Formats: sequence, structure tokens, C-alpha cells
Amino acid sequence: MSLLDRDMAARVIRTALSRGGEFAELFAERRSGYNLRLEEGKVEENTSGWETGAGIRVICGESVAYAYTNDLSLASLEETARAAAAAAKAGRSTAVGLEKPLRLLPRREDHPVRLDIDAFPRERKVELLHRADQAAREAGSRIVQVVVALGDARQEVFIANSLGEVVTDLRVRVRMVVQAVAAHEGEIQTGHESPGILGGYELFQEFPPEEVGRAAALQALTMLEARPAPSGPMAVVIANGTGGVLFHEACGHGLEADAVYKRASVFAGRLGEKVASPLVNAFDDATLVNRWGSFAYDDEGVRARRTPLIQEGVLVGYINDRKRAMRDGTEPTGNGRRQSYRHVPIPRMSNTYIEAGRDRGEDIIADTELGLYARKLGGGEVNPVTGDFIFAVTEGYMIRGGKVAEPVKGATLIGNGPRVLLDIDAVGGDLDFDTGMCGKEGQAVPVCTGQPTLRVRELVVGGTTEVV
Amino acid sequence: MEPYADLGTQLEEWVERGRALVGAGAELELYAQEHRGLTVRVFRGEVESLRYAHSRGVGVRVLREGRLGYAYCTGFDWRDCSRAVEEAAANARFSAPDEHNLLPSPADRSPGDLGIYDPEVEETASREKVELALRLEDLTISLDPRVRRVETAVYADGVSVVAVANSLGVSGTYRSSDCHCYVFPIAEDGEESQTGFSFDQGVKPSDLDLERVAREAAERALCLLGSRSMPSRRTTVVLDNMVAAEFMGMLAAALSAEAVLKGRSFLAGKQGEQVASSLVTVVDDGLLPGGPSTAPFDDEGVPSRRKELIRDGVLTGYLHNMYTASRSGTESTGNATRSSFRERPGVGATNLFLCAGKGAREELVRGVDDGVLILQVVGAHAGANPVSGEISLGALGLRIKNGEPEQPLREITLAGKALEFLRQTVAVGEDLRFLPFEGSLGAPTVVVEGVMVSGRG
Repeated sequence: MSLLDRDMAARVIRTALSRGGEFAELFAERRSGYNLRLEEGKVEENTSGWETGAGIRVICGESVAYAYTNDLSLASLEETARAAAAAAKAGRSTAVGLEKPLRLLPRREDHPVRLDIDAFPRERKVELLHRADQAAREAGSRIVQVVVALGDARQEVFIANSLGEVVTDLRVRVRMVVQAVAAHEGEIQTGHESPGILGGYELFQEFPPEEVGRAAALQALTMLEARPAPSGPMAVVIANGTGGVLFHEACGHGLEADAVYKRASVFAGRLGEKVASPLVNAFDDATLVNRWGSFAYDDEGVRARRTPLIQEGVLVGYINDRKRAMRDGTEPTGNGRRQSYRHVPIPRMSNTYIEAGRDRGEDIIADTELGLYARKLGGGEVNPVTGDFIFAVTEGYMIRGGKVAEPVKGATLIGNGPRVLLDIDAVGGDLDFDTGMCGKEGQAVPVCTGQPTLRVRELVVGGTTEVV
Repeated sequence: MEPYADLGTQLEEWVERGRALVGAGAELELYAQEHRGLTVRVFRGEVESLRYAHSRGVGVRVLREGRLGYAYCTGFDWRDCSRAVEEAAANARFSAPDEHNLLPSPADRSPGDLGIYDPEVEETASREKVELALRLEDLTISLDPRVRRVETAVYADGVSVVAVANSLGVSGTYRSSDCHCYVFPIAEDGEESQTGFSFDQGVKPSDLDLERVAREAAERALCLLGSRSMPSRRTTVVLDNMVAAEFMGMLAAALSAEAVLKGRSFLAGKQGEQVASSLVTVVDDGLLPGGPSTAPFDDEGVPSRRKELIRDGVLTGYLHNMYTASRSGTESTGNATRSSFRERPGVGATNLFLCAGKGAREELVRGVDDGVLILQVVGAHAGANPVSGEISLGALGLRIKNGEPEQPLREITLAGKALEFLRQTVAVGEDLRFLPFEGSLGAPTVVVEGVMVSGRG
């Protein structure tokens, strides 16, 4: 059954535009979720929840008014629409498409769910956590703590707008996050793994919980042996998979059309220019089947697509939402996303990655005399205006004489997004992805970051010792 | 009785009905939250976005033989709420038993007026609030020709009602208002641009000093123009009070008894030890008048209070909720927190701060012959690890020579261990200031010796 009635939606949209505005939209959702968390070998969190809500948006020039409520009754939606309407400046109204009944766009089944979350019993979900926990603990006696979190969610959305379109979509997601803590002689190190899927519990066929737990534990154990990282500029080889977070943070956010419009981006006004090494091809692609950051329609009802961002080092595209597409006179790229009905959609990445190149990952290391091998990156931060960034290397090694040498801890990568793109001098063929929750303007949405193994000619490594 | 208190009465009734559903031998807690808020974001003299929020929900905690189940819903009626009670009871069956899962009993303590609500927020028209945000942007770009634009300027406020009731007889309700504004100006000179930041907060719109926010934000961007990196070296750093307050977030996380019990704190096992310079005293005060996280009781209904966590450098205690207190053989410190009704209570700081010492920032800087004044850090979430105590952060600031801030710096990092920062603190200023984002963390300017600062050149 649909969340809302189409005629009712049309009425609410007309109310939202009653005081002016060029575009109005009603986004309603029904979401249910189940979250488990295990720590100290015990399931200590066991939470289920469900919520319904609707957000109404009016766009008037560059202004956006938004109002939301948990109550989906017509009276409540009308009141919410009036609150959004009141914020619009009285003026031009182009309520096109509302004379006829709203047109329902085809429901898409791009991302099949093979083991549905509601059909998968609670006992088996609990068992997955124990399996990951046990495998992590068996990886070594220095593993002192393991935290396993498992979350599943079902989100049904109904999106109607003043263009006369209605989209309904169902997103089912499952993700497990394992954190392992290793300790020895007062030293503490952590390791993380976080497989996720736009799909169901078939996730664990590809990522058995034992392997996830063990990988997190091994990372923590390795870093326990690590020496303090050196500081200073050096060649940095960034491993495939999690390394993609660097491109996501240091470049991807600068390709979001709202940042470009505000010129809070080093890539503003640079379409068609060379911004990266000719080895670099980059995309945002929400159509990758069952990827954590994928969807069939974005949160504005625009069909998902694959958007080229950089081709052979030349900047070829930005990602946008409906508002920026309308205002900038461009096509919507299907990147209007929001955390929930409580949030205004804004341009967001989906699965963003640097495409595979020609080199072999191991050859890139073999070709590096002295440098840092960043096997895993943690979080980072970027100043969007300057492109300056900092990233924590959560698993790092020195490269000496073309070989991966001793592990190093406490390293950070400090640099500048555009400069790093130009300084990439080798790109491997081993593209891999990692899952994340991307935060922007207080909203978290699921994304994938991806990249093959690549080398940056020189980056400043922030560590605590001299290079020896 | 104030109308908002009805929510508490409603919860008491639902707890009674819920007891019948969960049966004998189970305890039950209901937490309800209703929030109305407005956020205005302006850009180039126009309203970029205006957002009205109205949200509400109920979280249900069921404890049976030490097994905890939780469920939440957004319906404010017995039909939804009873389903959440049943679901929480079902979830409890699949949780591990833990004798320390306890609900608080009623305590007789009334804190009086905390100064956390003012009707002005609700009485001020949205139009006037929009004007405040527009004025903040306008003031910011009128100060210096090199600051011609802002990244964003925001006014936001909200009124919340929170109620907690449990089957042991705890029942309470309170209402709070909050109001803040902030601006990120961009200063430009040739090809270079730098971002500044400042904010103000209070319980009502008239608490906000827009002129001061605009001036400070612009100055913080302007002083960084002409920045470059510097060669790596060990040196004295002066942490600006906003930066020091960000570091308090790491300390707050490490002071949580939950983190300590689970081996996730670099301060575990250090109670009674000298962990910091004798200049360092850290307090968490849930009753701080008008504080951003002030409330009569915590998120499981335990009365709020003030407690010292580090006194003259000695670690005196941790933050506790009912669960961690029971496990540690102590009493709850009133530090049960949850970010919303969707979550069971964890442990968190209320208003946590480093107590003020002596001297203005200028005086502290004057005492440094050779060092770095840190004005912004980047990567605080990833680079300040409360588990290991390792700090590795990008930073922007000014080089200090002979007591004067000079060359602006960028692309530098601070690295070291939190305990080294705490022990090598050689001065604490008088300018205590609270950051109201992600909790309520406060600190004055702090001077730390012997910090590794890395850069290039």
C-alpha cells in the first residue's frame, strides 16, 4: 500500500505553493529498523523502532523553505504545507503539472533483496554478532575488546512534486561494523571493518562475519607492533578500498554543485580544465547494483545515474540536486539526497570512486624507494575553500627499497586536494570499495568510497619522529 | 500547572498501562521528547533555507532479569506506544542478562530555577529571526574589504520538552529553550582564501551579540591570510579557547565510565593519579545556570549535579549513569545522556569544562618567546583518539616570536599524546568559553610546552 494518496499529495503541494514559489515537493517516509550491538561478548543493545514523517519543501529562487511533521493526516500535512508556504516570499508561482492527476513513475527493482530483513529471524541476527566477536578474539590474545554493531533498515518513500510526478521507492540496507581493540604494555590500538549493502542479509554470504571480525582484529594487532610514524614530506602509496575516502573528502565535496555555486570549492569555474594527473578518471555512480551508497531514485525522485567527474585529468562534471539543476540550467544528476523526512535534500555523493588504472598495485610499491604505505585511512577533514585536508592513517607501513616494511602508527596525511590529484603518478587496476556514512550539514547518508592502489608523488606525513 | 507538564502526566499513565503489558518481574521506562525549532540559513542577503521542525517520539526501555530491550516510535498515542512496549519486551529476550541494568528510584531533589527556558524564543516572530541572520551576514562582510562573502550565516533556536517516567516511580518533565547563531566568513587576498568562524548562544534571541560574533569571525579569517607551512619542530603551543574546548571533547569521551569500563579510555585505571599539570581542574556541571546542557535531571531521571573530575591535575572521578555506577560500585553522577528518544541512555558530559585560570589570551601569548598560537584544528573527530589518547591534527594558526603573534600558518599538524598535553600544560587563561555544538564543552586559552608541530619547508 502506498504511504499516501496521490490526490491528497496534489492538494498538499498546491497549499505549499499558495503563497508563491517555483517548485514544491512532498516527501513522506515510513522507516523501520533494528539495531544490535555487542560488547564484552554480550548483546547490550537490542533496539527496534519505526517512524513515519513527511517534509514539505518550497523553492523560491535561491531560497528553500522546509517544514516537517510526524503526523501524516491530511490536516497535519496541510498545516505543515502552510508553514512552508509562509516562508516563501510572495511572488512568482509556477505550479505547472498540477492540473492533471499526478503521474506515478515506474517502480524500479534495480537492487534486489535476496534475504529480506524481516524474514531473517532475530536469533540469527544475534548469532552473526557472536560469530564476528569470537573470530576477532581468536585472532590473538592481545585483543582486549571487540564491539560489533549490526543494523538493518527498511525505508519506504513517497515523493510527489509540482512537476506532476510521483515516485515510490523501497530501500533496504544492512551493515555490520566491527571495532577490535588490542592492548599490550600500555599501548592501545584499534582496527575497523564495516561491510554494508543496499540489500538484505545476503551481505554475509560475501562477507562472512568471521572474516570481518578477524580482519579488524589483525589490523589492531599489527598496529600494536607499529613504531611512531615519521614526519615530513614523502611519497605515499594509498591502498585500494578505504583510501577512496581521501578522494571523497578532499575532492568529491568540492564537486557538489552547492559548494561550487557558493564558490566554497576549489573546483568552482574549472569545468574543462585539467585538475588532475592524466591517469585519473573519477565517477559518482548510484547505479552500482546493491552497493551501500546506491539507490534507484534519489530523495527528490530523480533516477539514479553514473556521472563522470574527471576524465583523463580533466574536470567534466559536478553532481547536483533539483534546486541547483533548476537554478544553474543543467540536468539533474540524481544526487539530491537527505538523511530523512526531517532534512532538506542537498547535493550528495553516492558511490564515488577513482576508476581502475593500468598499473599493478604491487608494482607501484616495488617502484617506490622510500615512502609511506597507507593501507587504511580513518576519518579526515577538509577545508572546502582551500582544499587543505588532513587524514588519519589507521593502518600504515613504511615502504623501504620497494618493499612494505615496518608498521607505523599515529600518522596523518596533510595536503591539498587539487595538488594531490595532480601529484598522482601511478594508478593500479585493483579498484575496491568501502562503506561509510557521509556527514554534511548535519545529515548522514550512506556512501561508498572507492579507489585502486595509487601513489602520490609527495605528501606531508604528520608523525612524531624524524624519518630514519 | 504549565501545559508542557501534561507530557509527564501522560507518561505516568502509559507506564501504568505498560506494566500490565510486560507483566510482573519486568521494569519499564518511558522517555518522551517533543521539539519545535527553527533554523534560518542566509547567503548573499537572501534566505538560503528556512526550516521548521516539529518532532516527537517515545523511547521505551524494558528490563527483565537484567536483560534490556529498547524500542521507539513517533506516534504520541497509546496504540503506537503499546506496540513499542511489546517490541522492547521482545527484544529484551535476545539480550544478555546483566545485573547492572537498573532503573533509578525517585530522588527528592528540586534544583530550583535553572534559567534554561525563556518564552522570548516562542514569542519572537520568524520574520525577526530571519532579520537576525541577515544582519549577522551583513555585519560580517561590512568590516573589511577582504571579507566580501560568507560561507554561511545561521540563526537557530528550539524549544524542547522532555519527560521521563519509570515503573519505580520516577517522573519528571522540563522545558528548555536554546538559541544560537554562527557565521563562517571567507577572507580573500589574491588567490588565497581563509575561513573564519564565531558563534554566540543563549536561551533567547536577545542573548545573542551579533556585532561581537561578526567581528571575531572576520578577524579569525583575516589573520590567517598570507599563511604558509613551517619546518617541523617541537615547540610551545597556545591553544585558543575554542580549540581547547574541542580538545575537551576528547577528554569528555575518555572520562566516561562506560569508556573506562570497556577499555576504551586512555584515562582508565588512573583514578587518584596525577594525570595533568596542577593547573588543570575539570568540572562537569549539569546545573550550570543557563548552560547549554543544563537540566534538572539526566536522561534516565537522575537529578543533575556538579562534580569535579580532575582537581589540580589529579583524576578524581568519572562520569556515570545508573549502569556504569552499579558496575563500578558507586552512584550515578547524573550523566545518562541520549541524543534522542531513538536511543537508550549512554554516558555523556553535561556542561564539561576546564576551569579558568589567570590572564587574558594576549598575556599568555606574551609569555611565549617562540611558539605557535593554534586558532583552528581540523580532523578533531579522527585525529584526537580518546581510546589511545593519541592526537594528530591539522592546524591553522600564527607563529609566535618574542611574545607576538606573527606569520600565519597552514598545513601544519599537532601530534602527541593527550596525557603529554595535560601534563605539559604550563598556563591556563581566564577566558572560559563554551562551545554549544555536540554537547557543551568549555575551556579557556591553554599553553602547552613541547608539542611536536610538523609541516613542510
